[in-house]
Amino acid sequence: MMKHNFWNNVAAVAYKEASVLRHDRAMIAAVVVQPVVMLLLFGLALSNKPANVPWAVLDRSQTTVSRRLVQDIQATGYFLPSRPVTSYDAGDALLKRGDALALLVIPESFRRDVEGRHPQVQLLVDGSDPLSASRVSSYIGQIAASFEVTKAPPAGGARPTSPARPAGLIDVRQRFWFNPTLSDRVFFLAALGGMLLTNLCLSAMSLGLVADREAGTYEQMLALPTTALELVVGKLVPYVGVAYLVLLFATVATGVGFGIWPHGSWFTLLVVTLPFVLASLAVGVFVSTLAHTSAQAVFISVFFIMPSFVLSGVMFPYQFMPDGVRHIGAMFPLRWYQIALRRILERGAGFLDVMVPFLILVAMVAIVMTGIRRRMKPRLG
Amino acid sequence: MSWRRLRTLMRREAQATLRDPFTMAILIAVPLAALMVFGFVLSTEVKHLALGVHDASGTSASRRLVGELAAQGAFEPRPYATRAELDHALVSGSISVAIVIPPDFDRRMEAPTRNGRPAVQVIYDGGEAVLAGNAEGYLRSLVAATAADLDRGDGASPRQRRSAGGVEVVTRSVFNPRLDGKPFMVAGTFGFVLSFLTVLITAVSIVNEKLCGTFEQLQVTPATSLEILLGKILPLGAVFAFDVVLMALAAGFVLGVWPVGSMPFFVTVSAFYVLVSLALGLIISATSSTAAEAVQKTVLLSIPLVQLSGFAFPIRNMPRPVQWASEFFPATHYIRISRAIYLRGEGPVALLPELALLLLFGVLLMAFALRRIEQRG
Repeated sequence: MMKHNFWNNVAAVAYKEASVLRHDRAMIAAVVVQPVVMLLLFGLALSNKPANVPWAVLDRSQTTVSRRLVQDIQATGYFLPSRPVTSYDAGDALLKRGDALALLVIPESFRRDVEGRHPQVQLLVDGSDPLSASRVSSYIGQIAASFEVTKAPPAGGARPTSPARPAGLIDVRQRFWFNPTLSDRVFFLAALGGMLLTNLCLSAMSLGLVADREAGTYEQMLALPTTALELVVGKLVPYVGVAYLVLLFATVATGVGFGIWPHGSWFTLLVVTLPFVLASLAVGVFVSTLAHTSAQAVFISVFFIMPSFVLSGVMFPYQFMPDGVRHIGAMFPLRWYQIALRRILERGAGFLDVMVPFLILVAMVAIVMTGIRRRMKPRLG
Repeated sequence: MSWRRLRTLMRREAQATLRDPFTMAILIAVPLAALMVFGFVLSTEVKHLALGVHDASGTSASRRLVGELAAQGAFEPRPYATRAELDHALVSGSISVAIVIPPDFDRRMEAPTRNGRPAVQVIYDGGEAVLAGNAEGYLRSLVAATAADLDRGDGASPRQRRSAGGVEVVTRSVFNPRLDGKPFMVAGTFGFVLSFLTVLITAVSIVNEKLCGTFEQLQVTPATSLEILLGKILPLGAVFAFDVVLMALAAGFVLGVWPVGSMPFFVTVSAFYVLVSLALGLIISATSSTAAEAVQKTVLLSIPLVQLSGFAFPIRNMPRPVQWASEFFPATHYIRISRAIYLRGEGPVALLPELALLLLFGVLLMAFALRRIEQRG
């Protein structure tokens, strides 16, 4: 009897909440527009991979070999056509003005060095953006390291079989699993679901609850013969439904649009999503207990969303962050969800491989729920 | 325009802002928190990265190689006995880089034949694209350095051998020798905070006024639209100018990041940018009827603001049409200016075109905001 009543009441509250959501224009816009905008941004616009890099060359050697080196670097496709400069100062000025990101200095003796001793070039990079600087210098370094200095064989036709030639240096054969071209698109889009759900669950839930309080409907609902638990569960159900719709959209759209389909099982994906959605919704509820007006609710949730995007590893690799900052990031549900997402979507991991993030998310739900009970009790009583 | 009326309006706005403890907390806490969070996220330094090692060679040369990789704390080697175990560790994500040293590594190292360069296989978790990209260069250079060392040890003339290995690049970073991510992010954070927070604060303040009906009251007073506009944005502008100074000092004392260029020049430009951004906030809130709508618009606007303004991702990496679109955000130009002052120490002369653009944005947005206020009156 009791059980029957419980689900009846939950269904009633859920129905009421769903009808409210259906008429909330701003909410629908957020649900529809945001995934599309984010998909386009992360799929097409944003990348950490250097492109169109402006660079300058001070070629003091002016020989075929030096020009070939410049061409080889150019051929990687990361660079704009190089700007020749005639003096060190001119190149330096380009760097200072930000008109060039790198300046390659080829010494006068380059040709002679190539034939005899080990050839050297100098590279000056604008280090103000460390990520671009380190990538650009590593590209140029790789090209130079594999530069075949004796492509045009000398007249003597010296020693193509000489064992001394390919000596010592270790050949590094590298492969990038799960993302052979190392495209940032895969990195971002794998975590797209996590970003969208964080946004949706947090802001919708906290705004919805505060708006209820402001409009007085919350008090009305407390006066109904429903228990607090029924009320909360009933309120959560429609949001969980919308969250799954958004996740489905994000996954299918990335698959259709960019060919990135989950390698792991859909079942695992759906299971891991549940504690994450609940944790995010619970944080939303918690935010609503802290805020007095909807403006405050928005402020608080935005300033929860921002650091969770930045510190969780969806946009910047969390592995590089200093220890303290990395540990702060571990307190956000998104950190663990994005770890699970990447494993399922890219690596084809099964449920056992995402057990740890799953359990941590479940624990987070429990912790936040306890916090909510503490904060809400006086008002429900 | 009457100076007396404007002064009254400004005093009113200042009091309303300063009296609200929540707004004050936001105005002080958010810039500082943003600075601390963003200051640390951009790092290219590879450290404590779990490196799976499958050493099928098990000789002193191979152990030396693994030792070198672990030496500076960049990689933390974890041995795996079989290739299958190593593969599984990669799939489950417990390691992000793996190195496989073949059984004949040592033999080839000692007696290189024509096609017998000693080879190692390195596998990266490409899903973590940024991580893999940075680890790649680092690992390659460590391997190359170790190879050269091992090489020198075995008697042959290193000079002669090196000559086959391509061209050596001596790299020097000019503005930021240690490739520290903090200055870059700090200079950008000014742009992020000033753009986002100003729009949000104005939006909320105007919508609140509309809800209380005080905005209508303002419009029936003898105050002109221009006076209402200035009465709104000048006091808020002063508050944000204070924020700029606060952030600059916090960045300097806590993170050790001071502008290379002139501080007064930076604060002046920032104060002007705040006005531009406030005008944008005014437009957004004047075109919204509810707080929720204003906030939704602000948040939707903030997504491209963060992503397309060059704050987090270099604009030059984007496709052409997106690059053009990003030029229409005032934030793009402000971030460019703030980085130029902070990182390269440029002065007003070199930045003239960007400053002029910012001024143009300011005039256009103010004029538009003024029209919006008039229409409602």
